[in-house]
Amino acid sequence: MSKITFRIGGVHPDDNKISRNCAIETLPLPPTVYVSVSQHIGAPAKPVVAAGDKVKAGQVIAEPGGFVSAFVHSPVSGTVKGIVSRKDLAGRPVPHIEIAVEGDEWAEGIDLSDTLVTEIPSDKAVILEKIKAGGVVGLGGATFPTHVKLNPAPGKVADCLIINGAECEPWLTSDFRIMVERPDEIVVGAALMQKVLGCRCVIGVEENKPEAVEALKASVAKLGYPDIQVLSLRKRYPQGGEKQLIDAVLHRQVRSGCLPIDAGAVVQNVATALAVYEAVQKNRPLVTNTLTVTGDCLPVERQHNYLFRIGTPLSFIMEQAGGVPEGAAKIISGGPMMGKAVSNVDAATVKGSSSILYLTEAATKRNPQSNCIRCGKCSDACPMGLEPFLLNRLYKAGDADGLEKNAVQDCIECGCCLYSCPAYIPLLDNIRQAKGQVMGIIRARAAAAKAAAEAVK
Amino acid sequence: MTNTVILTIVILTLVGLILALVLFWVAKKFRVEEDPRVDEVEKVMPGANCGGCGFAGCRAFADAAVKAPNLDSMFCPVGGNDVMKKVAAILGYEVKEKAPRVAVVRCNGTCANRPRTNVYDGVQSCKVKAALYSGDTGCSYGCVGCGDCVAACQFGALSMDPETGLPVVDESKCTACGACVKACPKGVIELRNKGPRSMRVFVSCVNQDKGGVARKACSAACIGCGKCAKVCPHGAITVENNLAYIDFTKCKLCKKCVAECPTGAIHAVNFPVLPAKPAAPKAAPAAKPAATDATPAAERTDKKKEAANE
Amino acid sequence: MDKLIVSPSPHIHARTSTSVIMRDVIIALAPAILVSVLFYGWSELLVLGVSVASCVFVEWAITKWLLRRPSTIGDLSAVVTGLLLAMNLPATTPWWVVFIGALVAIGVAKMTFGGLGQNVFNPAITGRVFLLISFPTYMTDWTMPSGFVRSVDAVSGSTPLSALKEALMSGSTISDFVAGYDGGWRALLTDIGGSAGEISAIALLVGFGYLLLRKVVKIWIPLSIFATIALISLIFNSVDPEAYTGVLFNLKTGGVILGACFMATDYVTSPMSRTGGIIYGIGIGFIVMMIRYFGSYPEGMSFAILIMNCVVPLLNKWFHQKKYGRN
Repeated sequence: MSKITFRIGGVHPDDNKISRNCAIETLPLPPTVYVSVSQHIGAPAKPVVAAGDKVKAGQVIAEPGGFVSAFVHSPVSGTVKGIVSRKDLAGRPVPHIEIAVEGDEWAEGIDLSDTLVTEIPSDKAVILEKIKAGGVVGLGGATFPTHVKLNPAPGKVADCLIINGAECEPWLTSDFRIMVERPDEIVVGAALMQKVLGCRCVIGVEENKPEAVEALKASVAKLGYPDIQVLSLRKRYPQGGEKQLIDAVLHRQVRSGCLPIDAGAVVQNVATALAVYEAVQKNRPLVTNTLTVTGDCLPVERQHNYLFRIGTPLSFIMEQAGGVPEGAAKIISGGPMMGKAVSNVDAATVKGSSSILYLTEAATKRNPQSNCIRCGKCSDACPMGLEPFLLNRLYKAGDADGLEKNAVQDCIECGCCLYSCPAYIPLLDNIRQAKGQVMGIIRARAAAAKAAAEAVK
Repeated sequence: MTNTVILTIVILTLVGLILALVLFWVAKKFRVEEDPRVDEVEKVMPGANCGGCGFAGCRAFADAAVKAPNLDSMFCPVGGNDVMKKVAAILGYEVKEKAPRVAVVRCNGTCANRPRTNVYDGVQSCKVKAALYSGDTGCSYGCVGCGDCVAACQFGALSMDPETGLPVVDESKCTACGACVKACPKGVIELRNKGPRSMRVFVSCVNQDKGGVARKACSAACIGCGKCAKVCPHGAITVENNLAYIDFTKCKLCKKCVAECPTGAIHAVNFPVLPAKPAAPKAAPAAKPAATDATPAAERTDKKKEAANE
Repeated sequence: MDKLIVSPSPHIHARTSTSVIMRDVIIALAPAILVSVLFYGWSELLVLGVSVASCVFVEWAITKWLLRRPSTIGDLSAVVTGLLLAMNLPATTPWWVVFIGALVAIGVAKMTFGGLGQNVFNPAITGRVFLLISFPTYMTDWTMPSGFVRSVDAVSGSTPLSALKEALMSGSTISDFVAGYDGGWRALLTDIGGSAGEISAIALLVGFGYLLLRKVVKIWIPLSIFATIALISLIFNSVDPEAYTGVLFNLKTGGVILGACFMATDYVTSPMSRTGGIIYGIGIGFIVMMIRYFGSYPEGMSFAILIMNCVVPLLNKWFHQKKYGRN
């Protein structure tokens, strides 16, 4: 058993990687795709097409709407039907670009072949520019624009790039499948980002995926890039959390309120590495991603790992996978610990979509809440070393100062506290709210301080 | 024995005296000069400490009132005009009367009107639920029904109706402090003028979706058709973002819009019950003469009063 | 699929619950209960039965008629309190005394504070201390009733500690006493006289091992109690072995093992952080030894735990666990 893991908290949910042996299949094209303009953290992208325009797959259809923002490309070829307001998976209206699919024609200059391009451009500005032009965002969950993350503020230096192959969320296997099926591309992608940052690189994979570790080690040895290391980590949730992974790999902690780069680290997901490879070496922007269809009420022969075009409606994928299985009570987009429950199955997939997970009522329904017995299991489980029971109490008392003092703003919303609470107290539900409040206060204070400083000038 | 008793008494008396002197000295030394009127004002305040006035409590309000140059920007919603008059009398200010207000729930998405489309299984808190998603019905604007407003009301004026799943305002208890308005993450609750004899007309919907979408989610939704705005003789109704809004300062309670609304989204409350009329729908456009005939004396006098107020 | 469930994340749960934890504690107590029943026979069974039944009944009655809330007896915490209370009483205790103890434990120490999780003092210990003060004759009657394994009637089973106090008062020295007391290592297995639950240290430790294995409790509280008691007795004993008892003697007598492993580790009334727990344990160990060496009571585990219960809120306030990225 590997000893490498993070030092504080964590839980051990059953990993349930039932779909691990389902090879990636290419999903058929849907009749219509709906491409959201808010597929990343930061400002929404601005559409540059209008109703009636003919577009090809890989063509830019929306431009970044700010510094932290990203290009959006058409995932299919066809006719733009218009910019429509469509509900996302939480039922909130978001502008989408609706495209009727006609054939499958790709924009010029995109290399669709399978040949591995191992030669790395010598100019890192070229790499960065191509990543930006490819609309690559972090595919580990946060969908932070990758080119921004790879371009640290002046004076900040990364000494280690960590490629996150932990996939610590139970059920999900899409990252596992790409690590097994396309390890070479991932390693080249990692080498590209390593070139940009000019530092060493560690690929961290949890040890419940030995095939992935083997495959990556083999391609690192084969491709011969310097300073890339594959590390087997102990299975523990939330290993794939940025801060936890840095602690596990580098034994360093990111100070509260700081970014990983302040601890000298940049973390990118394996799927992001693959997207970087395709964007830089193949000129192919981020228009596809891998998604797992799985669940405890889904027989293994109906589980899939799909390569899908971004913007495909969830309902289309669900139909392709044989419909909603008997007994499914909850549909989750993402993992069971941090994913979002779907209330609107007509919602379209986005760049960060990683799964459709069906759970039965028995697996997911919360038991009625009872009194806190002060067992401290939430504090033991919290990977940030917080005391969820205390934060919950302070939130209910409306004590914003107390919340800030007890570091509610450090919460990463991993769900370990609620997962381990024997009294089923909705700790994270309340703490998430409290965190929002305190973050608002902190931001307002920072803005006031900035305004005051400028007034002095 | 007697010695012990006497000694005890003497010592205790001495200790008491010394402590009294210390207390006297401390009280004198650390005395804070305060305007005595603050105490007087505080005495006439309702003492609810609800914060509805925008100050931390009744004492803070009294303090601010004494320091303020006039009372124009200050109002105690709980005590209303009576209290403000008393405060003004103490401070020697003039005060304008304000129309009393009441909290109005602008959603009629009852369980029957607005079928549930999914089951919410998180903590029973409107804030959390609204932050998570659009809610357990097709309507992404209306009441989410977890009762944050009920918890926020310290006058016991709000309660959840288990039949409809919506909050109900007890007008006799509502002080218009505004706590529920702040607590509601959906902005469903609004403070509106209470109206003569508590009669009010308002749009009981906040859905900004297009007509069809809104109607599909809730049979009592405002579909933004604009018929009410056209029929309103006082220009009190505006339609913005597919949603009608009645300006309560302009509304003259003629109820024409109520009859016109195709979904019944406009509510008229506390009007005296009219005697049953056989051909109600047809009579609606020509409501005025018919209504005058049928209106009981009470309502007519009210209308006269209104006319006088104009 | 009827209607989809929607909730904030996480969507899965470890599926532990308060009743599962309490069940684990009951399982952990089982060996010690078994041994005590074997040794004390029917009367011990009666005490156990009355104690558990009355604890559960009192909690049910209070939730139903006084608080008018849904009943909480399903979480099994009243059963645990009942068992612990019974294990802290002599097997000869009359049933009505046991009932009063249960009434105080659940009615006063637990439910007046708002039920499970809200109480400041350990309910079972509060009940026991109340009985100790109110009915000292019953509580110090260590006549041994006949058990299932040995049929000797009415053996004087005075606890080693109270026997020692008496012996010291009558002028004998510690070495005389320890020589006369056929304790030694045998006591670890069965022969610890006194409250029912204290009879077998091995059985208690086996149960505690189970709790550790199931990750129900952490080891630091019992460990710090044992270490403190050992250290203090070692110092005093080496200074004057005639006036102060030794390490092993103090560890295995007077309910130290039962108290440290099962009572001091009660979630509700012990600190949540590791540092807090260690200080709490040291406090208990220190107070126990002070009572034993200088107090008038023969043992002091119950008092020590109760006194340290008062400090728990402060310890919880002062000591927090280490946070990520904030050293």
